[in-house]
Order: sequence, then structure tokens, then C-alpha cells
Amino acid sequence: MASRDVVTYKTPLSRLLNVVIVIFLAFYLVWTVLPLFLMFVSSFKDLLAAFQLPPVGAFSQIGLFFDFAPTTKHYYNLFYNLDFSTYLMNSIIAAGGSAVVSVVLGSMAAYSLSRVDFRGKGDLFFWIISTRMAPVVAVLVPLYAIFRGFDLIGTRTGLILAYTTFNLPFAIWILKGFFDNVPFAIEEASMVDGSTRFQAFRAILPLVAPGIGAFIVLCVLFAWNDFLFASIIGSGGAKTLPPATRELVQPQNIQWGSIMAAGVVTTVPMMFLGLLIRRYLVTGLTMGAVRE
Amino acid sequence: MASVTITNVWKYYGKTVAVKDLNIHCEDGEFVSVLGPSGCGKSSTLRMLAGLEHISAGDIHFGDMRVNDLEPKDRDIAMVFENYALYPHKTVYENMANPLRLRGSSEDLIKKRIAFAAEMLEIEHLLQRKPMELSGGQKQRTAIGRAIVREPKLFLFDEPIAHLDAKLRARMRGELKLMQRRLGTTMIYVTHDQLEAMSMADRIAVMHNGVLQQLGTPQEIYNHPVNEWVAGFVGEPPMNFFDCELVEEGGRFVLVHPAFRQMVSEAQSALLRGALRGTSVRMGIRPDQISIGGKSTVESVAGTIKVTEPLGGDTLVNVDLKNAQLLVKTNPDFTGAMGETCHLTFDTGRWHFFASDNGVAYF
Repeated sequence: MASRDVVTYKTPLSRLLNVVIVIFLAFYLVWTVLPLFLMFVSSFKDLLAAFQLPPVGAFSQIGLFFDFAPTTKHYYNLFYNLDFSTYLMNSIIAAGGSAVVSVVLGSMAAYSLSRVDFRGKGDLFFWIISTRMAPVVAVLVPLYAIFRGFDLIGTRTGLILAYTTFNLPFAIWILKGFFDNVPFAIEEASMVDGSTRFQAFRAILPLVAPGIGAFIVLCVLFAWNDFLFASIIGSGGAKTLPPATRELVQPQNIQWGSIMAAGVVTTVPMMFLGLLIRRYLVTGLTMGAVRE
Repeated sequence: MASVTITNVWKYYGKTVAVKDLNIHCEDGEFVSVLGPSGCGKSSTLRMLAGLEHISAGDIHFGDMRVNDLEPKDRDIAMVFENYALYPHKTVYENMANPLRLRGSSEDLIKKRIAFAAEMLEIEHLLQRKPMELSGGQKQRTAIGRAIVREPKLFLFDEPIAHLDAKLRARMRGELKLMQRRLGTTMIYVTHDQLEAMSMADRIAVMHNGVLQQLGTPQEIYNHPVNEWVAGFVGEPPMNFFDCELVEEGGRFVLVHPAFRQMVSEAQSALLRGALRGTSVRMGIRPDQISIGGKSTVESVAGTIKVTEPLGGDTLVNVDLKNAQLLVKTNPDFTGAMGETCHLTFDTGRWHFFASDNGVAYF
């Protein structure tokens, strides 16, 4: 087994580079985290306090940002006046539903693409992946027309279906790689032991479970953050969080406080999800890479 | 328990022929080894027996039952794979229990059978471990245990000890043979190692390029190989071969080679007279059928010692002759040094003659 250590030799140049890198990373960290931090903090400030800014250049007055009385009235407004609990539920159902459908169908398709050799297999696989290459905007109008024909606009089912159109090829593509790395011999052993082909498939699922888990999280992430499908296809009855947040920007009054709160409500669940499966995500995504 | 009959079986992978017109009959309770180099069709044959490959043509019967169209799970067989194929996420106990669980056996039966197998294979202390925590030998015993608990009609072993170290392999050869005798189940054992086949099997089926070369007991295969290929493949160190001419002299044949002239016995000459085509022949003689000494005799052939390999219990001597080189196996007291002249005597009663055109043995 090759050494896992990347052997580096310290020279004056590399030391300087290290310092530069650290400074760069510090700036990058601030750049990335600051908007989230501001959003989080602002969601608890009433509007007056939110717009209190120190004069330009007065870094000593930075404490002004933290000088406020926290209030939860924006959250209250969201959930009691603006129906955000429905939108949150819609987001959860649409994202979760499409992830589940994609995984169930995708794992079976990936298994057969991995195991069975049939005529036209290479073409079929490429065709499946290529649907993911198309820009979503380009297919949106035709999809809308189709969905309207089936009365699926504004329904949660329609939204789940819409998300599945791009989650499913992704699932098949990734999961095929995982199945390829499970040796045939295990299913064959299972079949000789007495299982049918489908039972053998179920028997090797625990081996690709990290991959499936990682993939479910990615599916949920894509669907949860999606704005395009949600605003076009989900509009009217299945609004999810992103388009709902957009609607808080109104002609007569931009409700900054509620917008900040909505942002927090949209971001925090995904953060939790990421933290929860952080360990498995790395295992799952790299599992296919190294043969055991 | 069942006999296995393979009748006129062919296997095609697309246009490539892997197995050609195979006919093997294996008695109930027999240990038959299918021996051959990589790519000779032995694994394909085993997989066809298991039902993991379709049979392109021909029939396979277990006892009276034709199994061509039966799924693996309905054939009542147990298979041990070259890479063990254990379920990585299950404990050893669960791995061994899996075939019984799939058939809906009771917990009591499962426990009893696993205890029996674990005791026979000496893995009782490993039952709660996962495959990741086992050594190669332990994984292999688990795989064998998984096959034993089924109490099937037929065992199919696909090079099970190929990936173990040499000492463990030597030990497992004896243990597997003993296990099969004790259980009395018919066993088909695929290997490329002729030492394994010779030491374990009741009968060996030697295959090459998809064609069955010879089916016989280890003694028959070793002492009476049916063609040059089998003679060269079986036996360690391998047989020496010489391209020679045959001349008739006074009612008997004489074997003529640039380096030596040897008389052919009356009985062997009689055999040749009936069957010989042309005058050239390939002579094969095993390293242990040549004696080597310092003194020349009437029959001996002179040569120069090129290399000696002392193995402890034997010594191998590489000898240079005119136009030829050969390997002699002799006792460890041999004192010849490299570059010295030595004198070889062939055991002409035990040598083999093969036709130079198609390699078929005359004797």
C-alpha cells in the first residue's frame, strides 16, 4: 500500500507561499461566511437596528453590529402571516420525494447497466447521461407544456416528477460506478446459496449504502435549492421556499427582515443535513475509487 | 449425493469457443479435479455446472436430472469461489447461515450445522468476526464452511487455495481431501496447480484450449500421459523432451539424437512398428528417470553440468548436452560441480515417445 503521506520539503519559497496561502484563506473565509453571518444576525434584528451602519472607515465602531435587542417577530411573521410552513413542507416533500424515487429507480437501473451486457448498452448509457448535460432553461418550456397537458402544474407530484428528471440520470450515473466496484462473485455466491437475482441485488445493497446515502443527500440538496422548476412548474399550488422568498420582494415594500428570516429557514436545514452525514459523504463519494 | 455427467458440452462466448465437446462422467462421492492452465475452459465448465453460465450446446445431468435449465438455487450445489465471495457486512456466523436462512431453515438446525462445520474447520472462535478481520486462510475456511452447511449434492470448488501462502496451501491440500472423504459428497475441484490435482483427486480431467486431453487417475496421468502436452504439464519438475530420429537396426529401433544413441526395447519396438508415421519422434523422459554419475558406462551419455540446485531432499542438475539441455533429479548426496563432465543413464523402460506431428503418445 503506498504511503498516505504527501512528502514535502520546506524551502524559503514554500514557507512564504504558506503565509500567503493562510492570508488568502483568511480573506476567503470572511468573504464566504460573512453574508451568512449577516443574514443570520439580521433575521433577529428589527428593521431599524438592521440598517444602523457605522460610518465608513470607523472600524472601532464595529460593535454597532452586535448592539441590538433580538426579536423573533420576522419568524413569527413568516410562519403565521405568510404561510411559510406550507412552503417549507412543500420543499421537504418535493426534495425528499424526488430523492427517494430517483434512488429506487436509479439503483435498479444502475445495477442492470452494471451487470448485464446487452446490445446498445453504451448508447443507452450515454443518452441517459446526456439528458443531464442539457441546460435546464432550454427544456423548461417544452416540459411546462407537457406538464400542463397532464394537469401537473402547481401540484407537488408535478414538482417531484420535475426534480426526478434531473436527479434520476445523475443517480444512474453515480450508482453504476458503485455497483461496478462490487465484485460479481458476491451476488453469484448469493444465487448459489439460494437467492433469486432480485434477492441477490438486495443482498449487495448494504455494500453500496454509503454511496446511496451520499447520493440521496445530493439529490435533496439540488431539489431544495432549485428555483427554476419550483417557480415555473410549482407555481400556483406547490410553491417551495426559494420562490416564496423571492415573493417577499414586493413593489411597495421590500420586507428585509422577513427575507433574512426566510433565508435562514432555507439554509439551516441543509446545513444540518450536511453536518449529519458529513462523515458518510466523503466515504460514499470516494468509496468507488479504491478497490477493497 | 449424485453423480455428474457432462455430455457433449460446448461453450461459446460470442464467437470465441471456450469449451469444445466436453464429456466427463463423475461417480457419486468421487473427487474429480479439472486441471489446466489459464484459459483452458475449466472455470467455464465449473460455472456451467453451477448455472452461472448458459450451456451453449450439450447436456449436464446430476444423477438422472437434466440441469441445463435450472437456476443455481435449484440445483442443490454449493460453490467455493476463488476470492471467497464472503458477504463483507455480515459476521462469519451470518455468512455461514445465509444459505440456510434463504431456504427458511429453523434456527436450531442452523446452529447445529454451523457448529458441525466450524468444528471441522477449526473456526469456532471466529464466528462473531467480520470478513475484514480475518486472514486469508480464515476467510477461505469460512467460505468452505458456508458450502458445507448446505449439505448439498455436489461441491464446486474454484481454485479455493490459490491465494494462500505456500505452507498453508500444502496444509489445506491434506485437509480438503480428508474433509471430502469424511463428508462423502461428490466434489469437482478446478485448479491450475498440478500438484493440488495429483495429491487430492480420485480422477483428474486435464484440459487445454477448451478440449479435454485426458481423464484418469493421477497415476494414469503421470505414468501414461496420452499426449505430449499432458506429459509436459503434469509433473514437477517438468519432463525433458528431445527431437529424435528412429532407425531400424537388427530388428529393433534405435533412437538417434545428435547427443546420444539409445536402443529401444523389443516390446516398445513392436508397438512402434505398428503405429509409427515417418521417422522422427519426440522422446520424453522425466528428471527422476535419469541417473547421473561420474563414471561412464556402455549406455551412458556424457554431458557437462551447467547448474546444480540443491533442494534439501533432492538435487536438481541442469546438464548441457550437444544440441540439448536437460534437467535431472538426483539424491542430495550428489557432488558434481558446475562445469564438470557427468554421465547420464536413461531409464528406457519408463520413457515416452510422442508423434512429432500431433504429439500423441505411442507409449
